[in-house]
Amino acid sequence: MQLRLFRRVLLFCGLLFATASVAQQAIPRNDGWVTDGAAFLTPQQEQALEALMESYKVGSGHEIALLTVADLDGRSLERYALEVSREWGLGEEGRNNGALLFVAKAERKIRIEVGRGLEGNLTDSISGRIIRDVIGPEFKRGRMYEGLRGGIEAMHAAAGGEYGQITRRSGRRRSGGGIGALPMIFFVWFMFSLLRRGGRGGRGGAFFGGMLLGSAMSGGSRAGGFGGGGGGGFGGFGGGGGFSGGGSSGGW
Amino acid sequence: MIAESSIQQRGSAKLGCLIAAGAVVLLGLILAVTFAGRYNSLVSLQESTEAAWSEIDNQYKRRYDLIPQLVSTVKGAADFEKSTLESVTEARASVGRAQLPAGLPNDPAQLQSYIQAQQGLGAALGRMFAVVERYPELKANQNFLSLQDQLEGTENRIAVARRDYIEAVRRFNTARRSFPTNFVAGIFGFESVPQMQFDEAERETPQVEFDFGRR
Repeated sequence: MQLRLFRRVLLFCGLLFATASVAQQAIPRNDGWVTDGAAFLTPQQEQALEALMESYKVGSGHEIALLTVADLDGRSLERYALEVSREWGLGEEGRNNGALLFVAKAERKIRIEVGRGLEGNLTDSISGRIIRDVIGPEFKRGRMYEGLRGGIEAMHAAAGGEYGQITRRSGRRRSGGGIGALPMIFFVWFMFSLLRRGGRGGRGGAFFGGMLLGSAMSGGSRAGGFGGGGGGGFGGFGGGGGFSGGGSSGGW
Repeated sequence: MIAESSIQQRGSAKLGCLIAAGAVVLLGLILAVTFAGRYNSLVSLQESTEAAWSEIDNQYKRRYDLIPQLVSTVKGAADFEKSTLESVTEARASVGRAQLPAGLPNDPAQLQSYIQAQQGLGAALGRMFAVVERYPELKANQNFLSLQDQLEGTENRIAVARRDYIEAVRRFNTARRSFPTNFVAGIFGFESVPQMQFDEAERETPQVEFDFGRR
């Protein structure tokens, strides 16, 4: 009951805002290549998709992101997808080679939003076919991960991108210890050099050592972030955001 | 004594003149810099308005070019309603007649008839796609589906382009009217751009033209 009341109040506020301004509604914050607001994916699946998209980015520069939402919140599918794509700044600046796969769970709707730079290859009709023939059938069987992965692979294939080698990055994510060793080595070396210098350790040496220690510590904490998994290492989108409404919509 | 004071007076008068001249030069400089900035911002706003307009025009042209192919594909379906196809063809022809001269539209009446023709075509297409729902053979036809995807994409681009254009015009006109940019606009003859009008219903749901509840 309370939730319903809360929702109504929210809706009312939303309407108020919508009439006041040109409907600038909230845009979901992105947490990496995959922002799974509808909770379709397990953490492992999300990581696998993130790794796939990172490899696209490294290989071709194309930025293909995924956003799922629980519901559209009364907005139109097309407008929602466009606003998110522009706001996130998908695609590299100047090239606008970004694309967004957008899924609304409650409305059972799918949209592929294509940036200007990819419109020539990932055309409207190809986007439509990906939704109809790749994503839709899997979703109908309840295989959300397979549908999303197939859709992203097909989008990338159509965009004509290359797969990049990202052994270092994926290695980091899996082990976490691999990168953590580097600061440790620095730290040990720094301690040794301090000990060896002993009495004659001037200010310069201490300063240099402090810098090293600082960098080692910050490196260590960053490595910890990677170990935690999920979204670490994502450097943000390219800031292109050149979208003019290309792509296709569908459902399942 | 008298000569000395007159020299002093002459000196201070000279100094006053210098100060006045300096102030005038400084004021002129400030004005020039301000005006140059306003001028440049007006130019860039005008350019983005022009770009937004040509985007609308391009998308309408794209739709116009897609229709013959679509009509011939739909014609292939057994006993497809002739009247529906005819109304699409007619609407397309009236769009062809309502072409605007190149550049930004500056005649509100002309713009209005152009928009009306385009909206008529959008409505005719909407009716056609609604009728298509009754023809399962068309809905399984890859060629038709591809054309439908392209048209839907175009309709969506049109909706986006229109929103962007309206925003660009709003920003340009606001800048043109506000102080002190309005002086610059007056001096250099920046005309205000007519805002685009369309039906209230369409503004509420811009996807109405192509969301035919298919699938």
